[in-house]
Amino acid sequence: MTISKEKRNLAIAGILIGIISIVLVLLGNPKNMGFCIACFVRDIAGATKLHSAGVVQYVRPEIIGLVFGSFLISLLTKEFNPRGGSSPMIRFCIGFMVMIGALVFLGCPFRMVLRLSGGDLNAVVGILGFAAGIGIGSFFLSKGFSLGRAQKQSIVEGAALPAVNVLLLILFVAVPALFAFSEKGPGSMHAPILISLAAGLIVGCLAQRTRMCMVGGFRDLFLLKDGTLLFGFIAIFVAALVMNLATGNFKLGFTGQPVAHSAHLWNFLGMVVVGLGCTMLGGCPLRQLILAGEGNSDSAITVLGLLMGAAFAHNFSLAGVAGSADSVGGPGTNGKVAVILCLVILVGIACAKTFKKKEK
Amino acid sequence: MMVATFANHYGAMIFKKKVGTGCILRPVPRALSSSCGTCAFFEGPFKTEYVNENLEAVYEVQGEKYNKIYEN
Repeated sequence: MTISKEKRNLAIAGILIGIISIVLVLLGNPKNMGFCIACFVRDIAGATKLHSAGVVQYVRPEIIGLVFGSFLISLLTKEFNPRGGSSPMIRFCIGFMVMIGALVFLGCPFRMVLRLSGGDLNAVVGILGFAAGIGIGSFFLSKGFSLGRAQKQSIVEGAALPAVNVLLLILFVAVPALFAFSEKGPGSMHAPILISLAAGLIVGCLAQRTRMCMVGGFRDLFLLKDGTLLFGFIAIFVAALVMNLATGNFKLGFTGQPVAHSAHLWNFLGMVVVGLGCTMLGGCPLRQLILAGEGNSDSAITVLGLLMGAAFAHNFSLAGVAGSADSVGGPGTNGKVAVILCLVILVGIACAKTFKKKEK
Repeated sequence: MMVATFANHYGAMIFKKKVGTGCILRPVPRALSSSCGTCAFFEGPFKTEYVNENLEAVYEVQGEKYNKIYEN
């Protein structure tokens, strides 16, 4: 397959994913949140009572669909490849910190693009921070950063997270009383279960086939002068922008944006954490879900880090607070301290895994 | 033309240093991997002295096809 075919496939997949994202909003998901890996994993953490923030608790079928869609398509195409053992504990910790950065900004890279397509200019600040974080991560990569080589694992190990997702779906449908559900706020807003699940399955398949990854896009641009992977997200942006304009959901500006704040410094730094952490992990949160579906247990561990980070973010008031008519919103003192700590720890890990390496 | 795939970017950098001029790092083609890592395109022949611990495989490029000639 040539590079140009990859760009074409990424563009087609991006357009489909952009359309699906806006359809999910029209059917009930929060505005500018057709998909958000950070928000949806956070909602699952709430639904499973890992945190008690009443407005963000729901078992998001999109996440289950993403992992299972990737799992199914990788089985069909014989790309299911159980592997792992590449610094799992460090990956868990980085996943944890990536989630804190994302929840300070109020969105993962995927939602950042969707927010921009809805006219939310705070997302521009986020993109600048995200690119800066990837730039820092790319610097460490160019100096030899590595979390070590993954090894082959058993099929059971590779299929564990997809199986957990199926179990979660069965319990969610059969015994919903087990879970906590928001009665107001973003957690109470959702598309019908079957449609959300189907959307996740389709996007999971598309993302697996095209390797869509926003972190990979910027990283390749910085390190290899190749922006192929960015085509997917450019296509998502264009498709979602057209859909938002057509449905009256486009509102340009910094203030009054849905589930967003205008504390620019913290939007920027939150996404620096996300960009740097994801570059060290080798992919954005969406990509981690897709790789976990392909049998990568390192990515599965990272997803658990994201889940635990979400729980801590809400239990310890680290997440950003959405702006209102009276306030620009943003993180409180705990969140600001957490972002600075995450940056220091991430740079520390990057240094430790870069400059002590011996060439072999 | 040959292409080498790696477990991480570091492996590709070391490989490029050993092969020298004529070796270009690029995103790994989708036909070779579902991961979005870095690969190295270079003119043959492939020598075992190029191998490092992060090298995964080496392929001979024949049009749009890739024939695996080495696996690490």
